[in-house]
Amino acid sequence: MPTKTLDESARRFEELLGPGSVITDPVRLRTYECDGLTHHRATPGVVVLPESAEQIAAVVRICNEYGLPFVARGAGTGLSGGALPRSDGVLVVTSKMRRILSVDVPNRRATVEPGVTNLAITEAVRDLGYYYAPDPSSQQVCTIGGNVAENSGGAHCLKYGFTVNHVVGLEIVTPDGDIVELTDVDPGYDLLGAFVGSEGTLGIATKVVVRLSRLPEAVTTLLAAFEDIERGGRAVSAIIGGGIVPAAIEMMDALAVEAAEAAVACAYPEGAGAVLIVELDGPAEEVAHQFGEVTRICRENGAFEIRVADDPVERAAIWRGRKSAFAAVGRISPAYIVQDGVVPRTALPEVLARIDGLSREYGIRVANVFHAGDGNLHPLVLFDDAEPGAGERAEIVSGRILDLCIEHGGSITGEHGVGVDKSRYMPKMFSDDDLDTMQLVRCAFDPRGLSNPGKIFPTPRLCGEVPGVRKGVHPLVASGQAEHF
Amino acid sequence: MEALHETGVTVRPATPDRTAGGVLPRWVALPENTDEVAALMRVSAAHDLAVVPAGGGTKLGWGNPPERCDLLIDTRRLLLGNGSAVEHSAGDLVARVSAGLSLDVLDSTLSRFGQELALDGAPRAGTVGGTLATAVAGPRRFRYGTARDLLIGITVVLADGTIASSGGSVVKNVAGYDLGKLFTGSYGTLGVITEATFRLHPIPADRRWITVEPASLAGAGHGTAELVTALAAALAEPSAIELDWPDLLGPPTMSALVEGVAAGARAETVRRLMDGYGSALITAEAPTWWAVPPGADVLLELRVPPAAAHLALRAVAARGLPARVRGSVASAVLRVALPADVDEAAFAEFVTGLRDDLRRLGGGLTVLTAPSEVARRVDRWGPSGALPLMRRIKERFDPDRRMSPGRFAGGI
Amino acid sequence: MDPKLINDCVHCGFCLPSCPTYVLWGEEMDSPRGRIHLMKQHVEGTPLTPEMAGHFDACLGCMSCVSACPSGVRYDRLIEQTRAEVEQVHVRKPDDRALRALVFQLFPYPRRLRAMRLPLRLSAGLRRAIAPRLERINPSLAAMADLAPPAAAREELPRVLPARGPRRATVGMLTGCVQGEFFPQVNAATARVLAMEGCDVVIPPSQGCCGALSLHSGQERQALRFAKRTISTFERAGVDTIVVNAAGCGSTMKDYAEILEAEGGGWADRARAIRVADLAEYLAALGPVAERHPLPLTVAYHDACHLAHAQGIRSEPRRLLEGVPGLVLKEIAESAICCGSAGTYNLFQPQAARDLGDRKAERVLATGADLLVSANPGCTMQIASAIRRRGDAPIPVAHTAQVLDASLRGLTEVP
Repeated sequence: MPTKTLDESARRFEELLGPGSVITDPVRLRTYECDGLTHHRATPGVVVLPESAEQIAAVVRICNEYGLPFVARGAGTGLSGGALPRSDGVLVVTSKMRRILSVDVPNRRATVEPGVTNLAITEAVRDLGYYYAPDPSSQQVCTIGGNVAENSGGAHCLKYGFTVNHVVGLEIVTPDGDIVELTDVDPGYDLLGAFVGSEGTLGIATKVVVRLSRLPEAVTTLLAAFEDIERGGRAVSAIIGGGIVPAAIEMMDALAVEAAEAAVACAYPEGAGAVLIVELDGPAEEVAHQFGEVTRICRENGAFEIRVADDPVERAAIWRGRKSAFAAVGRISPAYIVQDGVVPRTALPEVLARIDGLSREYGIRVANVFHAGDGNLHPLVLFDDAEPGAGERAEIVSGRILDLCIEHGGSITGEHGVGVDKSRYMPKMFSDDDLDTMQLVRCAFDPRGLSNPGKIFPTPRLCGEVPGVRKGVHPLVASGQAEHF
Repeated sequence: MEALHETGVTVRPATPDRTAGGVLPRWVALPENTDEVAALMRVSAAHDLAVVPAGGGTKLGWGNPPERCDLLIDTRRLLLGNGSAVEHSAGDLVARVSAGLSLDVLDSTLSRFGQELALDGAPRAGTVGGTLATAVAGPRRFRYGTARDLLIGITVVLADGTIASSGGSVVKNVAGYDLGKLFTGSYGTLGVITEATFRLHPIPADRRWITVEPASLAGAGHGTAELVTALAAALAEPSAIELDWPDLLGPPTMSALVEGVAAGARAETVRRLMDGYGSALITAEAPTWWAVPPGADVLLELRVPPAAAHLALRAVAARGLPARVRGSVASAVLRVALPADVDEAAFAEFVTGLRDDLRRLGGGLTVLTAPSEVARRVDRWGPSGALPLMRRIKERFDPDRRMSPGRFAGGI
Repeated sequence: MDPKLINDCVHCGFCLPSCPTYVLWGEEMDSPRGRIHLMKQHVEGTPLTPEMAGHFDACLGCMSCVSACPSGVRYDRLIEQTRAEVEQVHVRKPDDRALRALVFQLFPYPRRLRAMRLPLRLSAGLRRAIAPRLERINPSLAAMADLAPPAAAREELPRVLPARGPRRATVGMLTGCVQGEFFPQVNAATARVLAMEGCDVVIPPSQGCCGALSLHSGQERQALRFAKRTISTFERAGVDTIVVNAAGCGSTMKDYAEILEAEGGGWADRARAIRVADLAEYLAALGPVAERHPLPLTVAYHDACHLAHAQGIRSEPRRLLEGVPGLVLKEIAESAICCGSAGTYNLFQPQAARDLGDRKAERVLATGADLLVSANPGCTMQIASAIRRRGDAPIPVAHTAQVLDASLRGLTEVP
């Protein structure tokens, strides 16, 4: 991209937004070179900080005029490089659009701008007896716009679902620069459902209407310590098998506990090979019953210590270790890779054993933190970037963990998104036809491919091409994993 | 015909007892797996055949009649690649099912393991595919969401015969676009759904319905609104809050469902809430009207923001037709049935007038089904701000407009 | 700027919502993560540009990000090192330079401050009258005039205030520069509370500035000089614990050993030999013996950054306040966000400081409290002046020590 075009567009942006909302200084631009995933970097051509949907639409139209790719970014906490900028394009940062526009309790919804943080919504409605259910670990930082792009989950999505289950309306700027409303009352295709989780490739959300959930009557959080992951895993299976759907079931292994301990002194039971956090919520009578069941199941499966939290302070103490686990790993390792694979819950014991094997084989430590209830693994692959070859070995281990997930009929990403980081694994999970079909949606929204190009799909599709009928066998079929996938 | 036979799939000439919204197809095909559907679609593409997918036929008359229909693909013989119709991973609370499976068979298969697909309100004789394509949902949507919220993976065959899957067999998965969302409620206009994977729920240990007949809604609309709001916010967490109003001159009935081990005790809490509005009864059985559409011949669906439900009810009553209203009042998705012999002009006035009323409330109305002679003058679907984008989707998936052409919103 | 400390940052962004300037402007370069990124750029060879320096200058040094960081990044050390570098390398604009010179030749020197009090002792009315004009001429000077509190009568403190009742401990007391000159009543209250709780309080008359102001602004040499002098003074006074009632001073003094590590001459060891404790921290650990008399007050407690974030002292002052019968404690929303005072920040970055002050004032007033309590003179000045700017009825302000003093002495209100 000729610099001249970027310069010219930057001038247009300045006219539109005012010079204070356009960044062109190279040193400043570089601070936007990556999101929460630091090993993919690109200094954006120009950064704009719009304050309204109309401004975003105007920015996007200028991008169309010059053929500039654009990438939306909220707080830049994503872990798949979904907001990796384009050096030949525009980074549209929504961090100045952070007003809660309305809280509508009778309709159990709130309308917010995309830069509002996830937690800010709950904080705004908690006193009214409501909350916003999806709760990614980064909830005090990450923005709702980013949550929409990534279809973010969190510990409590086991019972309550993901962003897509809690967004009831969107205002978006399409890749052509039109402002369109997507609602759950209008007839037609569920574009709302298609947009959520599209990682910024179908446009930019400029207004988000979220469903508010009633705060439950009772919440009980229980922490159970086991000698090893296997026992903990058996307890998880028994809980789910017993017909209980907890709000969350989280597990951490000894190494992850060590990191959390170093970071926030969470004082988890000593000598625990695995720590299980189970949160039950709902009507008091149901919670009381489930609590009895879960305690019994944990004991039967070898829990040597069980702690219970009934009030918010104790609960926060139990969660503190878990919620800080990712970043806390920085305390026990100079560098690490976080993975986000998913396996069917019943495959957890085997997959964890295989991960342990990989860890030994490559001499790379792996700390496991995971949403055990839904089989979402977050292996933290630890390495010392000063040690020659360690980074490469960690990459291999990390990749092989994803292979394991696919092999067991799971997914390469449960909540972090594909972004730029995992696009190369997409062909292992999906056939060319699957990917081509998905790209039909993209071509419908963004025929010029300007909206966050290079994400999700390993190879961009030229939208003029007519999809041919492909011959050949789906990789999962070929590997005997599925008859049809 | 020759080419269709060459696929090896059972293909028969159509008979008048099975039409797509009154349009008689030329042939009916009975494929047995996804590959056979793909073969049929390739032939259809080569010969410019218009295709309508069909399952149990319970909702085949919904939406606009297709502009043309050469081939009806009957999915009821479809099986998964392994020759079964259901692949139930009980330990994972997940099931992969053939789109041709009827809901009652699915229900009984899953219930053997104490599990269920928490999707009520769809005709049980209908198939999984048809339920998805029409996005029908019932009372428990209030707690469990609708088909889109329970679907975690889908396999479809596109107009050109391409087989595509998205999602997978794990509940938590954000890899790639979610084609399942797009196909749910697409009325057969984007392709043929052949397989679906759902997240399941344990069957609740116990259930109670608490039912009350409040004073006449026409006179006490606000009372209804308050009751619905109170129930929706109740800490006893009802799974469903339904309203049945068979006679607009009489009082409506309201009923809430609680589910769980402690359903009995929680039902008492809910009853105390409802007692102020009439005398509430607790039963272990659903009311007879529960999860049953209020009619079959002329059926409309209204949606408004939840707090406007009572206003929507009043708007229906004010239209002066002998309507029967029933539905999920807390989610504000209501069904309205009119007599099959409703006058064409009166119907048109009812639909356009009510649509205007609802638009002012931030909602809308669709005519799910109505005989052609009744609905001739109305747009069954109503307006949608995102129609241009929807048309672009359709153009990409089905550039020749051969999949259930014209059946959907905006004539898609 | 230590590259190792820089590399501890994993770029997770958890610091963003805790950073006052990010809260104000929403820009990456003015967030802790962005500033660390700028430091990294500089360490990797990018020259220190005026833009870069601007973003470092805009940091309040409130350390809220240090509390928020799950990876344990030592942003406090990093920004201090960076500021020193900025002061050495970066050439400031002449008016900025002059202001800085003025501040650093004035504030750390109690005697000079005392001289300044005369011109600042303008009536409130006169000050309001000249403020708009001053604002146009120089916003920083306007800020200085605006913030100067009405000077209280000086209370001479004895060299030693003996314990009331049985002696439980002997402690030294730091009088500080701004605290001592502008808020002598706080020092008096501190000394009395300590004595009433059974401490012999040693108050060396020759003490001066602890070096905090200089250190937080990159004036490293000056800071080291002050640190050494403070250590010597208290060594001579023969105490092994210094109780400090100003949060900014306490946090710097707790870091003396680290700051002096490179100095040699055994300074670091001498620093380690003296224990520094914040007043609230000290009293909470000591436990109450004196009788608390009721004070029927609704109090909003403001977390001074250098107490809450730099020293991790949050629960102790709250416990002490709640120990006063009849006192109702209110939490201020966004308690982790700085009020904008931040040492000399309100002098060098008047606009940002004002915006933050306004934000804080709004949340303080929302508590409906009768009294605002904080452990830092700068915060108190800042919030009071923001409330004044709003035109709202001023809320009385006090230091934790003054509330305890009133309760212990059985006064009916906090003087």
